[in-house]
Amino acid sequence: MMLRPSAADHRVVGMHTGKIVTGFGLLMILPLVTSIVFAEWRTAVDFGIGLAACLVVGLGLQQACATTHELKRRHGLVTVSLSWVLATLLGALPFSLSGQMGSYLDAVFDVMSGLTTTGLFLIQDLDHISNGLNMWRFVLTFVGGQGIVVIALTFLFKGTAGGIYHLYSGEGKEDRLLPNVVQTARVIWLISLGWLAVGTAVLTAAALWLGQTPVRAVLHGLWVFMGAFSTGGFAPQSFNTFWYHSVVFEILCIIIFVAGSLNFAVHWAVWTGDRAELRRNVETRSFIVTLGIFVLLAAVGLARAGIYPDAMSFVRKCFYLLVSGHTTTGFGTVYSRALVTQWGPLAMLAIIGTMILGGSSCSTAGGIKGIRVSLIARALREDARRLLVPDTAVIASHYHHIKDRLLSETAVRSALLITVAFFVMHSVVTTAGVLAGYPLIEAAFDGVSAASNTGLSCGLISPAIPWGLKTVYIVAMWLGRMEFLAVLALLGWMWSVVRGR
Amino acid sequence: MRHRWLIHYLTAILVAVPSAALAAPVASGELIEHPEAWDGETITFTGEAIGESMVRGSEAWLHVNDDAYADASIASGAAPVGYNSGHAVVAPPEIAEVVRVFGDHRHQGDLIEVTGVFNAACSQHGGDMDVHAHAIRIVRPGAETPETLDRGRLIALALVALGAAVLAGRLVLVRARR
Repeated sequence: MMLRPSAADHRVVGMHTGKIVTGFGLLMILPLVTSIVFAEWRTAVDFGIGLAACLVVGLGLQQACATTHELKRRHGLVTVSLSWVLATLLGALPFSLSGQMGSYLDAVFDVMSGLTTTGLFLIQDLDHISNGLNMWRFVLTFVGGQGIVVIALTFLFKGTAGGIYHLYSGEGKEDRLLPNVVQTARVIWLISLGWLAVGTAVLTAAALWLGQTPVRAVLHGLWVFMGAFSTGGFAPQSFNTFWYHSVVFEILCIIIFVAGSLNFAVHWAVWTGDRAELRRNVETRSFIVTLGIFVLLAAVGLARAGIYPDAMSFVRKCFYLLVSGHTTTGFGTVYSRALVTQWGPLAMLAIIGTMILGGSSCSTAGGIKGIRVSLIARALREDARRLLVPDTAVIASHYHHIKDRLLSETAVRSALLITVAFFVMHSVVTTAGVLAGYPLIEAAFDGVSAASNTGLSCGLISPAIPWGLKTVYIVAMWLGRMEFLAVLALLGWMWSVVRGR
Repeated sequence: MRHRWLIHYLTAILVAVPSAALAAPVASGELIEHPEAWDGETITFTGEAIGESMVRGSEAWLHVNDDAYADASIASGAAPVGYNSGHAVVAPPEIAEVVRVFGDHRHQGDLIEVTGVFNAACSQHGGDMDVHAHAIRIVRPGAETPETLDRGRLIALALVALGAAVLAGRLVLVRARR
């Protein structure tokens, strides 16, 4: 029997959602200041409206729903989902006001893509957009990588226990770096800002060396870092990272997006002196093995296609795109359509494989995640061993993830459930693409890219696709980022409002 | 030998005609869709220079968009009609330096005609699909994009900001009373 939420329950959800929306709105100060610095007055007005609208909704909810009731598990998950819905709708305002979008749905698509670190976009005439609007795209993707709830926990929440943890875990992060969730959120921001400072400086220096003007070098250095570390894949120009034509820049990007795809707990272990964790962690090992397999597969496809004239070109293009896919970043150094016209189906399938698996848990990356891939592989190996040993033998598997752990039935079951859910979602988005009239391989490529929060495209996704398909992709990006649970909690909440007792 | 004058005349024309006239005019979309068909061919295409010229030693990288915004960007009032599309061009700096204005939010870049050799996967540049330009001509010089403020939007900003200020003030008062 489902219990209908009481007025007190709604107030708890409303008040905390209001706090998160307020925090999200304050982020618009960054693009607002950028617009003012570059004298982009129209854009500044758009962000002024967006910021004020977020404050009206956020502060209004906090006051209308003021309560002293404690935040519990079911409130936490619903709060996260509702916050994402409101943040996406409000964050789309400056996009829509800019005139660069075909519709409000397109603006919502881009905000969802940014917040979920997907990197697909429907914004038009990207090469002429204002610095303020570009800044907003990257703030969205950078903040989305850490989580909008994480930023709210860092600055706007007090307390340590109860539902606060469910706010944190509802965004697809479960590992606690420290016993206190709020401190964990702050450590995630410390790690990210540390990388931001170093990464931006290095990329800016590289951009200057590549011939960009100082102002553009700083902006591109910052934005490309944000797009890479968040494994988001947004880039300042329509050419994506193909703009730079530099192997050095590509290597720097790879280092940053691989770092972004690593579990924050691994970052924290390395920061606190345990460098061996990087080598021993089951997710790092899983990433290296699966990347090797898919690079090999793509190499066979590319060798058959015979497009690259020398080994250097071959390795450079193949490795960059495969790592970009596996970390669910979505940076590319080839034209989208070149995947179809030059790379061919086998290499595309290899990229699809990497996108499905994705990066590490508790990172900025999407996809099934390395920990689940490892647990399922180990469970299969354990079952195979059971068939070969006497019935009385006891078989136990261990794996290392921050500490040595015993492979448990519960962990395997949980990993399998989410994995099956991901495969179902990939099937649905692919079918939706085919139903809309696109070839299977292209529908699978862009559909999986959206659902795994990657952002690589073979050219299917464009402002011209039907609104129904855009909606499917928006929901898929959201479900993929939330890892289903928080979205299902919101749907359950709505159902219980209608049918509960 | 009666027709020697004719041979000289034709030779003079061939030398005088710029290489652009002999190159096949093509759009960037066609190059990306059918790269093998154009690989190694001398082509010419026209588009807006965007971003910047990145000069690296004996080379300069340009990006040229031949999309719907090459003549007027959305920032200058054009309607959104699709993505940007264009091509990467590499040229000697002395050829690239003719381009003065690059397209961005505040500028409509120079409209240029590029003539050069198309490479589906350039071995000199890490497999990039590019055009090695040997001639660039300005078709239409670029210009600054004027910015106008919408009065209705300013009024909307004032109203929403007032609402936010009232709510913020009320929250501060409630907290102060506690």
